[in-house]
Amino acid sequence: MKIYINGYATELPHTAEPINIEMVLAKALPKGQLEQSFALALNGEFVGREDYPNTAVNGRDRIDLLFPIVGG
Amino acid sequence: MTLSIYGQALSSRLLIGSALYPSPEMMQQAILASGAQVVTLSLKRQNPLAQSGDKIWRYIQASVAQNQGFLLPNTAGCKTAQEAITLAKMSRELFQTNWIKLEVIGDDYNLQPDPIELLIATEQLLADGFKVLPYCTDDLVICQRLYALGCQVIMPWASPIGTGKGLMNPYNLASIRQRLPDATLILDAGIGKPSDACIAMEMGFDGVLLNSAIALADNPVLMAKAFARAINAGESAYIAGTMPERQTAHASTPTLDTPFWHQREHQ
Repeated sequence: MKIYINGYATELPHTAEPINIEMVLAKALPKGQLEQSFALALNGEFVGREDYPNTAVNGRDRIDLLFPIVGG
Repeated sequence: MTLSIYGQALSSRLLIGSALYPSPEMMQQAILASGAQVVTLSLKRQNPLAQSGDKIWRYIQASVAQNQGFLLPNTAGCKTAQEAITLAKMSRELFQTNWIKLEVIGDDYNLQPDPIELLIATEQLLADGFKVLPYCTDDLVICQRLYALGCQVIMPWASPIGTGKGLMNPYNLASIRQRLPDATLILDAGIGKPSDACIAMEMGFDGVLLNSAIALADNPVLMAKAFARAINAGESAYIAGTMPERQTAHASTPTLDTPFWHQREHQ
């Protein structure tokens, strides 16, 4: 299954059970990144951390991971 | 006197941005020197492996903590109300604040706010519990609409972001101040020199938000102090009450009994 994380195509292995955001992050992100400060949007809609385990991810979905940065 | 942001009293009327500094260390020193208690920051995509955001984030947190201040996340880069709403919600979770500097850009050339999208986003975010600080143009009617929606703080621009052109249209800004006497007005964007900030405060603005003018100075720390003093001077001048402007000269030294009184002789 192909999804897009921050615009980059990411291939996820097929699983018997439906995939949720928590599973995607565990599989697709480098070790250590989960501890970083970030916020997430799925297909342009904010998803809170408490909803990662119960939000399904489907093929061609877009996940945006945003990190703190300087700003004016 | 204190500045009130949705009921939160602040001792400094300067709000400062965290971008464009030569280094994170310089950013931190400038923020501390400014005395600003509100620091703006943002959220962006970046390469997670680089972890560069973590270092900046730590510096910003430390700076804000030392000034006993508050974070003000922005929605920079958003071009629609929906984008801005999503980014605001992400910021609220990550930064643990319901303050949001709401930016919805309508034009790529001068980064002018889109007033239509801004109003749509403002209404929805206020309904969702956000304390919205909208960045807008110096259009009186837009400011009135934002205030009517429930924005206690309104932030019209002085001139386009990063231009340093100062107060492009003082008449408009004075009109906004006059017509919205109870709104907290913060001049945001386009400030170039401390005198610009001083003029805004003399006009009765409640505060000034700026970034480039300090970050791009040859000496950001010294410039941060200069802005803090200029804002204090402008505030004092506003409270003191400036003299009325007059069309003709009036001697300040009493003319009666001046030593060499020249009076045209009558023919």
